[in-house]
Amino acid sequence: MTLLLAEDDPELARQILAWLGKAGHDVTWHEDGAKAESAALEKAFDAIILDVNMPNRNGFQIVETLRAASDLVPVLFLTARDSVTDRVRGLSSGGDDYLTKPFAMEELLARLEALNRRYQQSGTGRRRIGEWTLDTRQRRLKNATDGIDLQPRECALLELLLDHEGHTLTKKFLLDKVWNIRFDPGTNVVDAMICRLRRKIDAPGQASCIQTVRGKGYVLKAVS
Amino acid sequence: MFSKLFLDRLPSTWRLAILQAIIVGTSIALCLTLAGSALRGDLEINARSVILDDLREYSLLYKKLGKQGVADLFNAGRHVGIQAIRITSPDGKLVSEHTQEDEEKAFVWPDPLNLRKLAIVVDLVTVEHPKGSPHQLIGRIVLHDNNVLWYGRSDSADLAYLQHIHDYLWMAGVAAAIISLIPILWYANEVMRPVRSMIASARALACGAGESRLVASSAVPELRDFADAFNTALDRNSALASELQAANDHLAHELRTPLARIRGNLENFHDEVKNVDASDAAARGLDEIDRATHLIQTILNIRAGEHNALRLHREKTSLRELLGGIADIYATSAEDRGLLLRMEASDDVEISIDQQLVTQAVANLLDNALAYTPSGGRIILRLEVEKEQATIRVLDTGPGLKPDELELVWQRFIRGSLASARTPGMGLGLSLVRSIATAHGGASGCCNREGGGAEFWFTLTHAGESPA
Repeated sequence: MTLLLAEDDPELARQILAWLGKAGHDVTWHEDGAKAESAALEKAFDAIILDVNMPNRNGFQIVETLRAASDLVPVLFLTARDSVTDRVRGLSSGGDDYLTKPFAMEELLARLEALNRRYQQSGTGRRRIGEWTLDTRQRRLKNATDGIDLQPRECALLELLLDHEGHTLTKKFLLDKVWNIRFDPGTNVVDAMICRLRRKIDAPGQASCIQTVRGKGYVLKAVS
Repeated sequence: MFSKLFLDRLPSTWRLAILQAIIVGTSIALCLTLAGSALRGDLEINARSVILDDLREYSLLYKKLGKQGVADLFNAGRHVGIQAIRITSPDGKLVSEHTQEDEEKAFVWPDPLNLRKLAIVVDLVTVEHPKGSPHQLIGRIVLHDNNVLWYGRSDSADLAYLQHIHDYLWMAGVAAAIISLIPILWYANEVMRPVRSMIASARALACGAGESRLVASSAVPELRDFADAFNTALDRNSALASELQAANDHLAHELRTPLARIRGNLENFHDEVKNVDASDAAARGLDEIDRATHLIQTILNIRAGEHNALRLHREKTSLRELLGGIADIYATSAEDRGLLLRMEASDDVEISIDQQLVTQAVANLLDNALAYTPSGGRIILRLEVEKEQATIRVLDTGPGLKPDELELVWQRFIRGSLASARTPGMGLGLSLVRSIATAHGGASGCCNREGGGAEFWFTLTHAGESPA
């Protein structure tokens, strides 16, 4: 993806640049709001990462300018302030997204991918996991001889893992996208659902295709 | 003193109007009674003197013209009311009698034996009849030939006259009462309008609309003063709340930015390091940073909620749908623990709430219920919709709470005595529930259920919003 990063904290910007660069994305960085705005207007990016509090032009003003110019590029806000988070929640309901600092780099990447995927309107409805084929419309896993029905959330979780195949997804990201909650409940709802999915799709005696990454989250691997 | 007279919900304007009507009514009745009895007394004195005068005149005429003269004079007169004369011999035998020609107006003489008791030359007696019917005044004079002249008159004309005055006085009284009610009702309304607006403002404030202020009409100086004083207090409160918001905001920013830098570096270290122990340590570090971030956010939210400074991102939400969604989230975890989680909602209401915060409050209650209820137990998530509020209850079949813990558990960092080191949570969950309820103009509480288990609840106000 070609990305624009507008972030005035140099240390955090350096980390994001390094991480996204390593993941194979081309990132342009500006620490000044006005410069970021003109860059966004000049070049077409796949997505923009926008810190809301920036010198000269803040994140809201930049988005206003872009939308006024009919530029519908997906925007992911970064915030550290409650007051800003509140406004961003209002704005992001239209389809864009936000992240509250501190965040996991995996989550930033997963959200960018999600934004970009929606932007490009992809999706065939049929996916493969090992010997299984997932039919998202019927919420059913099928192989040559057998079929397994999935609960709506199980299907949504599996689909999300498939969308980000090979990428670690944080618990926070899964909770937001599958359960639509932006906090971590005391009860391990994600773990419980992952366990169920594993019981349904894993072949006995083999390593699970949904792996736990300690301190990070979950990743779907071994997709043929 | 009069407050017990009225129905509990009767508005003050009506109370005042009723009191006013009672006062005016009593005054009119008193005036009528006093004026009536005074007038009646006057009329009787007048009638007596007229009768005595007439008796003397008739006596003189009798002396000069005999009984025909008396008859001529009586017949020539125009009599007001019912009148009659009769002449009797000294031993009581009737000599002559004259009454008005109109039969209906015929005077009815009482038993003559009683009248004979009158022994003196000229005298007058009142023959009283039952209340409301005319009395009779009967006078007599002993004539020069020792015959007796009787003159009778009923006071029916006086009564008619009094009735007339009575009717007019009543009409005047009712008109006066109505006229006097107009300014009273106007003024009561002037007083009550600002009071009603104050009630509406106070309700809006309770629902978290911090910007609304009391508006008092200029017609009531005391209420204006009260509204001014109250608004000043509200201004001070909002100033404090925004100060707290700003401070929280600043604190969050100052803590989150360095945490973000640390997290980024640690994450990088975790990904790059080949040593498994070091990678594990980094993973634990990442967990701790996330835990600390969560803790900071929860404490800031609790603090903001306690001081009415929690920013709400309100959206119209169907509570039944929201709770159904949450019950669904917890269904798998409850099943894994061998618990039956059921949702009960007979009614629904659409209400403007911060979905994330209310979801978090319900989730906190369910987290507790799941953590404390032994396998095989039942958990009920219940929605009750009342006129002005919705109550969300979580009932479990766990061990319940000790009586002295019922209020204590809502305090920060306090956990019930049955919590063990392995029970998840930091003792902030219920404080956050209370803060979120307060921010939505509601309350929270808990009690032990009959037959075992605990019940936790919180309310959300929806004054003025329609049930779905």
